[in-house]
Amino acid sequence: MKCLLIASESAEVLFHWTDPEFQQNIQEQYGASQEEGQGLPAFEDSISTQFAPIIISCSTMVDRLGDSYTSFTTENNHIYVLHQFDECLYIAVNGDGEEGEDDLRRKIYVMKKMIEVMFGMVTLSSNLMRRELRPQDTEQRARLWTHLQGLLETYSQLRENDQSFLVEVLAHPSHSFCCLHLFSLYYIILMTSKSMKRLNFRNASTLSTSDLLALIIMAQNMYPSNTDLDDPGPESTSGSGPESFYTPEPSPTDSTNSGSTPVFEFVDPDIQMAEDSLQTLEVPPPDPSTPRRVFLEVSLKEGLYPMMPHSMYCLPLWPGITLVLLTKSPTSAVAMSVYKFLEAFAKLEKRLSEGHEGSAATRGQPTIFDIRSKLDKFIKALGPSEIQSAQLQHVWTEFKNRAFARGGPGFTKELIPWCKNMKTQLCGIYRQCFLIEPGPSDIPRRLSPSLQERAQTMVQEKLMDWKDFLLVKSKRNITMVSYPDFPGLIHFICVDRSTERSTSELGKGPVAQFIKSKVWSLVSTTRRYLQKGYSTVTLRDGDFYFCYFLWFENDTGYKLEAGEIPPLPDDSAPIGMLAWDYYRKLLRYYSKHHQGEVVKCYELLTVHLGVIPSEIILQHCRQLASKLWEPSRNPLL
Amino acid sequence: MAELVPSNSRRCTYFFLYDGSKVKGEGDPTRQGICYFYPEETSLDRQDLLCGQLAGVGRCVSELSLSPVRILRLRRNKFAIRMKDDFFWALGCSLEVPTVSVCELLDQLINLFCFYNGSVRRSYQINSRELLAARWAQYLSHLQSGCSELHYIFSCLRTLDSTNVDPLLLLKAALILQACQRCPLVLAGCILFRGRVVSTQMSPQLTMKVMVHEIETYNKASRPAVERTSSPFGGDVCATTVFLTMSELQFLQSAPIDKDVSSHSTPHKDTPPQRTRLSRTLSDMTFTESETSDPGCSQSYLKVSYSPHLSDCSVFSPSTSRSTVDPVSPPPQFLESPLSNGDHSDEADEEGLEVSYYHSFLSNEGGSSRVHLDGDSPVFEENPLLNGAGEDGDAACGAAFDFRGAEYGHEHEEKDLEEASRGVSSPGHEPEMSGPSPRSGSFDNSEESPLIPMMLYLHRVKGLVLALLAEPHFLSDSASMEEVYHSSLASLNGLEAHLRTVSPGAPGAPGPYVFAHFDCIQSTLTANLSGRPGGAPERPFVRATSLLHSHFCNTETLQEAIIRSAGAAVYGTRSVAQETYFQQYGGSLRNSGIPNYQDSAFSLPSKARHRLMKHGVNLL
Repeated sequence: MKCLLIASESAEVLFHWTDPEFQQNIQEQYGASQEEGQGLPAFEDSISTQFAPIIISCSTMVDRLGDSYTSFTTENNHIYVLHQFDECLYIAVNGDGEEGEDDLRRKIYVMKKMIEVMFGMVTLSSNLMRRELRPQDTEQRARLWTHLQGLLETYSQLRENDQSFLVEVLAHPSHSFCCLHLFSLYYIILMTSKSMKRLNFRNASTLSTSDLLALIIMAQNMYPSNTDLDDPGPESTSGSGPESFYTPEPSPTDSTNSGSTPVFEFVDPDIQMAEDSLQTLEVPPPDPSTPRRVFLEVSLKEGLYPMMPHSMYCLPLWPGITLVLLTKSPTSAVAMSVYKFLEAFAKLEKRLSEGHEGSAATRGQPTIFDIRSKLDKFIKALGPSEIQSAQLQHVWTEFKNRAFARGGPGFTKELIPWCKNMKTQLCGIYRQCFLIEPGPSDIPRRLSPSLQERAQTMVQEKLMDWKDFLLVKSKRNITMVSYPDFPGLIHFICVDRSTERSTSELGKGPVAQFIKSKVWSLVSTTRRYLQKGYSTVTLRDGDFYFCYFLWFENDTGYKLEAGEIPPLPDDSAPIGMLAWDYYRKLLRYYSKHHQGEVVKCYELLTVHLGVIPSEIILQHCRQLASKLWEPSRNPLL
Repeated sequence: MAELVPSNSRRCTYFFLYDGSKVKGEGDPTRQGICYFYPEETSLDRQDLLCGQLAGVGRCVSELSLSPVRILRLRRNKFAIRMKDDFFWALGCSLEVPTVSVCELLDQLINLFCFYNGSVRRSYQINSRELLAARWAQYLSHLQSGCSELHYIFSCLRTLDSTNVDPLLLLKAALILQACQRCPLVLAGCILFRGRVVSTQMSPQLTMKVMVHEIETYNKASRPAVERTSSPFGGDVCATTVFLTMSELQFLQSAPIDKDVSSHSTPHKDTPPQRTRLSRTLSDMTFTESETSDPGCSQSYLKVSYSPHLSDCSVFSPSTSRSTVDPVSPPPQFLESPLSNGDHSDEADEEGLEVSYYHSFLSNEGGSSRVHLDGDSPVFEENPLLNGAGEDGDAACGAAFDFRGAEYGHEHEEKDLEEASRGVSSPGHEPEMSGPSPRSGSFDNSEESPLIPMMLYLHRVKGLVLALLAEPHFLSDSASMEEVYHSSLASLNGLEAHLRTVSPGAPGAPGPYVFAHFDCIQSTLTANLSGRPGGAPERPFVRATSLLHSHFCNTETLQEAIIRSAGAAVYGTRSVAQETYFQQYGGSLRNSGIPNYQDSAFSLPSKARHRLMKHGVNLL
């Protein structure tokens, strides 16, 4: 019995996903409370009625007690996890004991991430977000919700069946395709527009792991691989076991001088070239495959820009192997400007609501003064375009009158609603630019079908050999991996959190299934300890002995002293990459004390038979830890 | 055991009892349903807010999941919840306390209330909120008093440091209890010294409950303002009504009492007496040993019955017991055959009254119960022993007696009504005698397990207290009471004199390590925490212990664990009977965190085995 619900503060359902059992339960209860003879109401009404008291109580608690619910547990072990993001309340329920509180919390954060990838900065305005998630048109609403439900299910499936998803890591082969076989593929290849042009992967801009994982979920949802792990029979190990991801290696970041760039001009010369060439190549499309708009983090010299618009093309190469092409939106300069403005208003609002007034409120970068002329220019540039900016213009004028005019109220608390209003207006502009279904005038900006086709063919040719290899590999019958050099070792996972490499093998079959469940629970247990600041954990549990180690090294392999790992509150985002890039933050935190050094972070999990003496087990761990990253001596590869 | 100094922070942040049945209508104010709220100084608005919101959300979630809410977490607090009938209890603790422990604490609190007051619903029907609020406050403060952080994690009995006491003294205490049990009305007992258990025949949970009253009366007694009139018996004796659950009673009855003698008053006449063993004391609680060390005494006790051979046990002063008890003429009802089920009418009048007394509890034989109760007060007044207890200003005792009377009165009226509507048993009909849970006390509905009224008898000799759970009519049976009193007095005096000289025991030497050992069977905790206020150096240990304890509770198969943070490496291990936590101080914690078998963290198991031997903890 499972459910995930998003509701507004006024208990309006913004999204729901339920399994049939939960749905039935709600219907029955709602039916019981209704007068007879009225027939079953729409499910949406039922679920909203049933949850309304909880939702309303949540906002009452926040308003009046400054505290909010994080979870409920009932005597029959149903778990409810609640989390409020701005004005949206997320509630995840599990009544069948399959998920713990951590799992549910992770699901909530993943859902939020997917929504961010789909709606970008519109998520920063609760008001707009509410309308976006719950379109007035019921058909449109049904379509959107079905899509989101699909994503959620795909995520759950991947997490349940895929070890890489469990530990939320992407395995990058370090240099070229030849590494592919070492980390056999999960069949997703990501490319960007620039790398397309050059047909190599060296110069692509870096995507964050979190975004990549989100894209994988989307692609997988579009073209579900039929490598179902539940397939019976010893032969059907296809797609199971060893898995990894191939992504381009990090490259020098793009050099973009945005900010002063006029709106609607291509920012990056490279992109401009790419787009130009696309246009020349274009043949009128008979049936253009529509790209999906996704909002991804872009790292530029001047900093990170979250939620920048991209177009995502998913092209099936072979069954189970999908080519994903990403192109940067030519109008991303608008997004960057909007982001900067939003940031400035958010900072101002924060300082004002903290009680700062006057010049104290406007300190910090970027200041509202920096923004002023830029915003003027921005609005001016919007003027002739088809974007409706009159409202923004109006609010901005009001804001300026209050904030900057002599004799006006200046920077006082009274400005707070105007900051909010400005944010809403900016999000509105962003929405108009990137979320409204593109009209026919947008079509030239798409990759032409012929270009898509060409890319598809080229990659297919390139991958032909590897595909065969993968097929061979997938047919290999692995019932249980044994490690001759490590007697008693049943399973291990080793992750390099700095480069996102992981090494591990997990077999299939009844034994493997049992071990799999052990590994899955071990991962969540050790994360719980890590969340509380424990970086070494060993457990004797039943017939098994589990070890978990997290440590730091510099780039020459020198082991750095174990640092303090800050304990996190219970309701913080679960440790991982998809929901919240925990390891990136951890590395940054640790690096503070190791200035000038490249710090690397590693994790090792092992499962041994309990009868093995612990000295031997630790010796194994030691050997695994020191050998794994030297390819020539890697015991497994 | 080391003295564990209370931590400064108040861990229990909120406790309330909310009666939803009082707030049914739209216009009913929330505060009408608030039976008790802690801290009492909380503004009414906030009380309304918390009670209203939590109870509302609790009800909604319960309906969705078809099961009562158990835990409710907020960002800064966690609440253990109990929902029963229309009552809603919530106990809020800070986040550091393990969730399992908060739930346990709330259960303890409610059980304590029921132990001294009977059913909650009925208590609120017959008593004022103010009176019961004082009780909740008393139980809550008891549960919180003198608690170290470890006590919040493990709810444990405070026992005498047995490594510090001559084992013969423990044996002596055990024998005193056994001797008291020869009075067939006495079910079980325990001996406490300065708020710590010396010996007990009851389950740890029951012992904990009994101790509340003892500590309460002790605190009152130690206040100079309160004068205690010495009774002719020369000591302080008081008694109060308590309520046992069916399972508690069965546990007591399955234990050491000679059924041949005592079962005349217990309804288990058809079940053969289970002679599992003679007595559970502190030293032989683990169910593994043979009989306690005075087999001669024990056997005679089993074979013969009441007092004639009491003096055979050397621990008793023959002169005392003989002088006060007529060994040849025990009260006739004690020799009644256990099989004389239908012979109640033939029994002594007193006995007959007692039967109807029980009867009245379940089958509403209001008339006779009334008679009995009316007759009870004179006994109370006339009995010098009770008189003494009543006059000494011991409010707790007094209240208990008053309360008992009041309750019966109400019950009578109430039951008359119920009886009328249900058309249940006529006088003489004894349905409760034949069922598997024949004795029944007050109960609210069929789901709730019945509570059976019993008598808690306390005999204080300075810091030493003998607490006995006895059949309710023990109080009116002055001969039995005198017998018990006199047979134990000298021994108690002797024991007290000995225990007084025992030094409280140096708080566990602050060694190069810190440990905590929890005995799950006896509910005892041994630890060597320094107990410095705040306990800053021990915080990492307590934090790790708390996490590991939760993990052990939630994962049955987990046997041992080592966890390491930057500041501490802690080893935890558990078996069915115990949980042990160990941290080694000093040594270099500098390490890279990379797996290394020479790492000191991994030698913790062997160090713990070695070091803890001298604390009597065997980890092999």
